Amino acid sequence: MSSAAPTTSSNSDTDNIMLAARELFCARDDRVLFQNLNFDLAQGQVLQVQGSNGSGKTTLMRILCGLNDSYEGSIKWFGQEIEDQAASFFSSLLYIGHRVGVSKVLTPVENLRWSCSLKQAVSDEQIMVALREVGLRGFEESPCYTLSAGQQQRVSLARLIISPASLWVLDEPFTTLDTKGVAMLEKIMQRQAQAGGAVMVTTHHSLSIPQLTILSLG
Amino acid sequence: MAEKQTTTSAAFIATLKRDLLIAFKKKNDIVNPFMFFIIVVSLFPIGISPESDRLTEIAAGVIWISVLLASMLSMDNLYRSDYEDGSLEQLLLSPHPLFFLVLAKNISHWLVSGLPVVLVSPILAYMLALPTEAYGTLVLSLLLGTPIMSLVGSIAVALTVGLGSRGLILAVITLPMSVPVLIFGTLAVQSTLNSQSPVGYLSLMLVMLSVSVSLAPLASAAALKISVN
Amino acid sequence: MWVWFSKLGSPKWFYELSGKWLPWLIAAMVIFMTIGLVWGLVFLPPDYQQGFTSRILIVHVAVAGTSLAFFPLMLVAGIITLVWRMKLADMVAKHAAILGAWFSFITLATGSLWGSVMWGTWWEWTDSRLVSMLFQLFLLLGVISLRSALEDSETAAKACALLSIVGCINVVIIKYSVEWWNTLHQVASPVSLDPSSPNGPQFWIATLIMIVAVYLFLSVSLILSTRNEILERERRSQWVQDLVLKN
Repeated sequence: MSSAAPTTSSNSDTDNIMLAARELFCARDDRVLFQNLNFDLAQGQVLQVQGSNGSGKTTLMRILCGLNDSYEGSIKWFGQEIEDQAASFFSSLLYIGHRVGVSKVLTPVENLRWSCSLKQAVSDEQIMVALREVGLRGFEESPCYTLSAGQQQRVSLARLIISPASLWVLDEPFTTLDTKGVAMLEKIMQRQAQAGGAVMVTTHHSLSIPQLTILSLG
Repeated sequence: MAEKQTTTSAAFIATLKRDLLIAFKKKNDIVNPFMFFIIVVSLFPIGISPESDRLTEIAAGVIWISVLLASMLSMDNLYRSDYEDGSLEQLLLSPHPLFFLVLAKNISHWLVSGLPVVLVSPILAYMLALPTEAYGTLVLSLLLGTPIMSLVGSIAVALTVGLGSRGLILAVITLPMSVPVLIFGTLAVQSTLNSQSPVGYLSLMLVMLSVSVSLAPLASAAALKISVN
Repeated sequence: MWVWFSKLGSPKWFYELSGKWLPWLIAAMVIFMTIGLVWGLVFLPPDYQQGFTSRILIVHVAVAGTSLAFFPLMLVAGIITLVWRMKLADMVAKHAAILGAWFSFITLATGSLWGSVMWGTWWEWTDSRLVSMLFQLFLLLGVISLRSALEDSETAAKACALLSIVGCINVVIIKYSVEWWNTLHQVASPVSLDPSSPNGPQFWIATLIMIVAVYLFLSVSLILSTRNEILERERRSQWVQDLVLKN
């Protein structure tokens, strides 16, 4: 059983609060993962979710995205229920999970063309620029099964660069990345926070990002 | 940064294109069900009788059942690789109605697995000594029936996509559901052979197709949400 | 209404209430079953044409009539599970599927037993009721095997609920299409294909009593297995542990 103290954001102006979770409770097969969990996620904030294995980090992330609905409590998006504004919520949300959402038979460009166009119109030029930025220059047209796990992770991270989404939910995005990749992702996350977006991330790394707040589970 | 949101139709077309591209790159997924269909049909004359009279009698049923089996076999990879690589989660998190995205996947799946089977069916009908006047009805009935099976089967595939080892559960769930399609498909061919009009059966199948197009993707979408949960 | 409804959804409340009802239901079932069986098997004059078989028919018709209730029951339970997420509905649905499969099987068995005497064959494709019952059995087995394949109980509940809804729609379509198919294929229909052939009012009253008895049997077995399921699933809750300690 776990409960987390309410985390207040650095700037407590309520207008800035994108996502507000209240009294979240989740149990899986009789085991309580978390209860009475409250937190806010404000614009310009990076919220790192920490907790031991099995403490429900991934479940929490999936609940926030709407992929998992077996919870009790309320989650509000700019003060309103998510169901009432699903389209606007989903266009502002970008989720990268354990399974990165990269099809192995397609090339990075083909992958991004589809996954980005689920949310917004995207040009091939944007895709090329993003792939170069995540360090995949020269791999744009190779099928993803020829890429390493870290490189596939980078393909999915390229979506962060292309996407205008204001809320990023990243579940263990650092696991397969090398040191350079970690630094790059930290830089991208920081840029998102500075631009007024918000990031929610689970990782065991200690991040060096000024806007960082930590939420502990378990 | 261009922040133009895509329209639902653009997302629909992007999904359709992507799935067709994947199918084109993984040719096995197209070729194997197709080969399966041809092989199963060729086994019947060997198992039953080479006499053309008896073959004529069973031709429509044999072709229809083989189509059923082949389409069920090909259904398996409708959502599985997407589930495994996480693309399915991306699909579910799209701001567009899941109905259309699922429909796009179903259409592309039918184009690569259902349509080839329909197109080759006259050749197999010839090999099974089906009289020529019934070819048109056979192809039409398959053209109406195979998409129904893709749409309805998609629900069962979506429900079982999270299972590690699925074995034959998909067959156990989907095959009983295909009874109505099988009945009307074979009756249409049969009535042509009896020089009656098959229009009644074909229009019934058309009704079933329109009902499945409008309802089955909803059920598939709900099933996908359940499985990904 | 809402309070009542959510109270009904509470497994504990159901367990207590059903505990009070159960003796009455069982008593009613025993009474109806005895009357139906004794009347049907002992006092009812053997049909001049069907002889002993009309007695099988009483059981067959009663079980078959009850079998038709399972998919609608699972449809309702499925909708409740998906819309209101009531756990109780899923527990009922789980056992309804299993009981439904047994009922369908018994319908088929008694039907073919009757057929073996009447038609001289154990299986007759020209009887559309038998054929659609066979496919109902297949669909129910599909639901059961889906539940046993899915590990996570919540996923299993929702998935089976959805499959039951689809299955219920399908069972209706199958029923009508099989009937249609049948009317076109009846080349040589066996004698007295229709179990509702002349049997006299006495036969029908006995059958009606038997139908009530079988429905009662269905409710009793459904309640009993649901109660077991409740204890199993709620074994960690306080009230179940109190209950165990008391006994």
